[in-house]
Amino acid sequence: MSSGLASDEVAEDYKNSLEDLTTNDRFQISNLTVIAKENTEHAMAISRVLENHIRSVGGRPSFHVFHYCLYRYTPPAQKLPALYVVDSIAKNVGTPYTLFLGRNMYQTFMNAYTLVDSQTRRKLDEMLKTWKEPVPGSLDTRPVFSPEITRSIESALIKARTAALQQQQARSQHEVLNRGRGVATPPGWSHTPTPPQATPRPAPPHNNGHAHGYHGSADSYSGRLTPTQHQPVDLAALNRDIEALIAAARNDFANSPLEPSVQQRLRALLDLQGILQRQELTQEQLKLVRDQVSALGPASTPVMSNPAPVPNVPSISTPSMANPAQPYRHLLNQGTLAELIKATATRQQPTPPPQPPTSIIPQSSSPQPPVASAGENPLIASLRARGLIPTVPTPSVPPTAPAPSLASAFPFIVPGQIRYTPPVPPPQVSNASDVTVSVQMNTASIKIPRHALISSLYEARSNRCGTCGRRFFATEEGKEKKAHHLDWHFKTNQRMAEAAKRAQNRSWYVDERDWIKSRESGDDQSLAGAGEGDPHAQSNAVEKGPQKQWIRAPNDAALRNTPCPICQEKFESTWSEDVQDWIWLDAVKVGSRVYHGSCYAEVTKDGSNTPVGRTGTPDSILGKRKAEVS
Amino acid sequence: MSLPGLDLTQSTAEKQHAPAPPSQINLSSGSEWRFEVAFGTTVRVKLLSGTAELFGTELAPSQTYTFSGTKAAIYTWHGCTLEVSEGDQLSVLDGVTPAGTNGVAKGFGAGGCQSEYTAEETPMVEYANVHFALESLRQEAKSTGKDGPRVLILGPENAGKTSLAKILTAYATKVGRQPITVNLDPGEGLLSVPGTLSAAAFKTMMDIEEGWGNSPMSGPSPVPVKLPLVYFYPMQNPLEGDGAMYKPVVSKLALSVSGRMAEDEDARETGIIVDTPGILGAGKQGSEEVINHIVSEFSITTILVIGSERLYSTMMRSYDNKPSTSASAAASDERITVVKLSKSGGCVDRDPAFMKATREAQIRSYFFGNPIPSTAASALSLSASSTTNITLSPHAQQLDFSSLAIYSVSTPSGSSSDDDEDEYDPANLSSDSLLPGGSAFPTTSQDEPDSQSSQSITLKKLPSPVPTGLANSLLAISHAPPTASPNEIRDSSIMGFLYVADVDSDKGKIRILAPVGGRVPARALVWGKKWPGEVVGLVG
Repeated sequence: MSSGLASDEVAEDYKNSLEDLTTNDRFQISNLTVIAKENTEHAMAISRVLENHIRSVGGRPSFHVFHYCLYRYTPPAQKLPALYVVDSIAKNVGTPYTLFLGRNMYQTFMNAYTLVDSQTRRKLDEMLKTWKEPVPGSLDTRPVFSPEITRSIESALIKARTAALQQQQARSQHEVLNRGRGVATPPGWSHTPTPPQATPRPAPPHNNGHAHGYHGSADSYSGRLTPTQHQPVDLAALNRDIEALIAAARNDFANSPLEPSVQQRLRALLDLQGILQRQELTQEQLKLVRDQVSALGPASTPVMSNPAPVPNVPSISTPSMANPAQPYRHLLNQGTLAELIKATATRQQPTPPPQPPTSIIPQSSSPQPPVASAGENPLIASLRARGLIPTVPTPSVPPTAPAPSLASAFPFIVPGQIRYTPPVPPPQVSNASDVTVSVQMNTASIKIPRHALISSLYEARSNRCGTCGRRFFATEEGKEKKAHHLDWHFKTNQRMAEAAKRAQNRSWYVDERDWIKSRESGDDQSLAGAGEGDPHAQSNAVEKGPQKQWIRAPNDAALRNTPCPICQEKFESTWSEDVQDWIWLDAVKVGSRVYHGSCYAEVTKDGSNTPVGRTGTPDSILGKRKAEVS
Repeated sequence: MSLPGLDLTQSTAEKQHAPAPPSQINLSSGSEWRFEVAFGTTVRVKLLSGTAELFGTELAPSQTYTFSGTKAAIYTWHGCTLEVSEGDQLSVLDGVTPAGTNGVAKGFGAGGCQSEYTAEETPMVEYANVHFALESLRQEAKSTGKDGPRVLILGPENAGKTSLAKILTAYATKVGRQPITVNLDPGEGLLSVPGTLSAAAFKTMMDIEEGWGNSPMSGPSPVPVKLPLVYFYPMQNPLEGDGAMYKPVVSKLALSVSGRMAEDEDARETGIIVDTPGILGAGKQGSEEVINHIVSEFSITTILVIGSERLYSTMMRSYDNKPSTSASAAASDERITVVKLSKSGGCVDRDPAFMKATREAQIRSYFFGNPIPSTAASALSLSASSTTNITLSPHAQQLDFSSLAIYSVSTPSGSSSDDDEDEYDPANLSSDSLLPGGSAFPTTSQDEPDSQSSQSITLKKLPSPVPTGLANSLLAISHAPPTASPNEIRDSSIMGFLYVADVDSDKGKIRILAPVGGRVPARALVWGKKWPGEVVGLVG
């Protein structure tokens, strides 16, 4: 692309400039954009620098950020400006940066996302939203980044949130008790400075937690303090809420069916509904889902734009309500989190988020050792489970981690019933077609909606024939098939125009033997071989006929009843599957007359031109028999 | 001035020709638009945006589909917008009378539908899951070299069995498979006329407008034709004579299908989908035995029961988790699964008049092609037309009755009328009606000793003179030679049908309509006297 040396220099300069960028400084960012614009020949190097920078800003520093986040309410603000540079370049410069940055955008974005606090996440979400749209004021109608990229990120986020919910199941009784207490002792949260909101602000964790706790309680717990009481209400209300959300999402979808984010969101919601309907969640899980749903409901914005509450809400609320500060101290004293972060950060792997809430979950739920394991951010766990985050061989996770926590964090593996690849379309679109289906054939299993699988009937085959609606894969093979298919349409149309001039009729049905031997000729195979005039085509056309000569049966009744001048026998019309028309087997047109091929061969072989009747050779008889039979 | 009468006719004619403005129908995802179009009227449907499918077959965007004489539903997984407009009235062509009761029934729904509405609740999730479950089995079949799943669809009348068969076939085709779909319902034809049991491998898309599509014709077809293997079963009730005639034909069909499976790799992997007549699901005497026969002949692995708890529990008891009868079942431990499916709320009872009109339409289209006349729009540009308005020209000719070997079915219950072939009694048709509430047949045959009942239905050669009852009925041309034994003829697949337009008993001649020109093949003919019965006015 560019000479290595120059690129290195530019990259080095750029890197230094980037390192100076610590805050969301508009001037600096636009400056960096201009540099990028002037050095498009080094786009690859600059993109690399940007990616590395964004990645390296995280890691260890973020641990401190974590402290800030907890105690000083300071957002990390490290990755965000760098990502804003990416955003600015993508929008102001566009290609080739979008191409280079797009390649690893999934990792870059998800890496950053897992490490930043909720406020920053919100900003990232907002940014991501703009990436799905064309650059404002630009003539180009394409989105900033290709839909594949944004879609994969979005779906990963949605799934991660669902996964986070799932992980909360461990804290069952505990939370209910706490909640009960919380409600019973209003002073704990009554002085919440701000009205409860779904979206957390960088507020003190206590307040924040209380806010959410309040939120959860207020929405559907009002007046019901004991778990036994609230169970039935829970489910019905929850289903209603989800249905409402789905309806809204469907509406969106109906308005813009091709918008990937809408599809994703709808699918995620439907998956959630599916899980619910399977009724395999405990009441506690249900409750969490409910909290989640109610958080989404009023906002009625896409899930994406409201990311923060998901992992945070439930986790913060419980401990803070029960015993506000203790868990954190406890956690820090143990140093488990730090240890965990170190373990992963040194590997340059996506680190578990330095966020207290998620890490606290295990603490509050199970006082048992596998702190670290369960402490892994469900987001990451679920991403890993799906292989979306590269790597993480088991060792990098504390040994106790994998199985149980993954299973619980990964709601889509439901024991016994189903196992199929997660509904998230993998980053590469082409992979979507490889979905291995495994659905049990039993009355219970087939009632579970599997909207993800529907895509194997639709989205997976995105290449659509405009004439008949047939779908093809968007792969090379699919394109080739479609080309053949369009050829087929074209030829058929041509032949229909021809055929309109003559009378057509229904063919006889074939007998058993021919039916068993017959193979359906698809409309997507190469048509070579079905053409007229080509000797090879003719031999193909008449499969088992001993004679390879044939002509289309004439339409004119007089012509059709004209016998072979040599043997004085009439011609038998035979339906040819390949030609899709009536043909005369063993017939040859010489001048204006039609002879039996065998008769003609016989006659010309003898050197005689006299049309003597009844001299059909055994060959010709055989040929005609054959024609009669079929 | 004009006469009042003239005035009147003119105004009604005008009223009829004024096309209703096209209406748009928005479907949210997961809902479907159910519509009924009477015979004699047409409705055009166009997909404006989104995706939509009719019984599993996807509609192409911006193509106009024309429907007539149908009750169907367009479902959408993703939401869509349809444009519905009124099509041309079908004029009375070739003396064709639009089905008696429906002749003037132009509806008041969108686009002149008799009835149309949007439904949110459908069993499509279940049906799609059945497809996915079958796909799992097919993937397994492919990797292990076993046979693909053989599916039997059971349920009472109007439960949506054929619709489900279409959906499963369409989905399988859509993902590149090639199922063999078998119709065991003599009441409705699959790629053929009623009175037939048939099978066909579906590799290409099904016809949106024409149910299962078309069997081969002399000309090209915009939707690829499907090649059926057809057997004639000239009765409506498969339980006739305890299935004495039905069962051997089913066996023969199953044999051919398994022959195809053995040789056709695509078909083997994908398996079979078997549609059945509703009477088998109605709990009639003898139906279990026939079901058992089908299950074992086709080595069924999956039984889908729609809309009948009782049937489901019976099937569960008899078959669930029992080994299938396929040769490899013992080795591979292949077991039968019985699954219950919901009936769609869209299933409507098709009254006898509608069923009769459907049958007539099937017979008519066998000889004459698609009844929907070419519209100006489609005639102008071929590429824009997806309508299969192919007109076929059957050939009329006179035949000597004495030169033909025509066989007819004789049943013990009908023995009295056997002696009196000249009198064709249309009432016969209704006497063996399948309507629940029952006919006398099961009880009659029940009284017969078993040994005798297997002999009770035989083919008998029609003696001279030519019975006048032949007029307006169908003759099936079997592949068996005229001299074959009755049982051979019974079990033989058929080449096609002749329609007897006229009988001249004095001269011993009949005037027939043959789909294909030229000499009528010298084969044994079977008379569809009782079924599919009389079709009046096919030839003017």
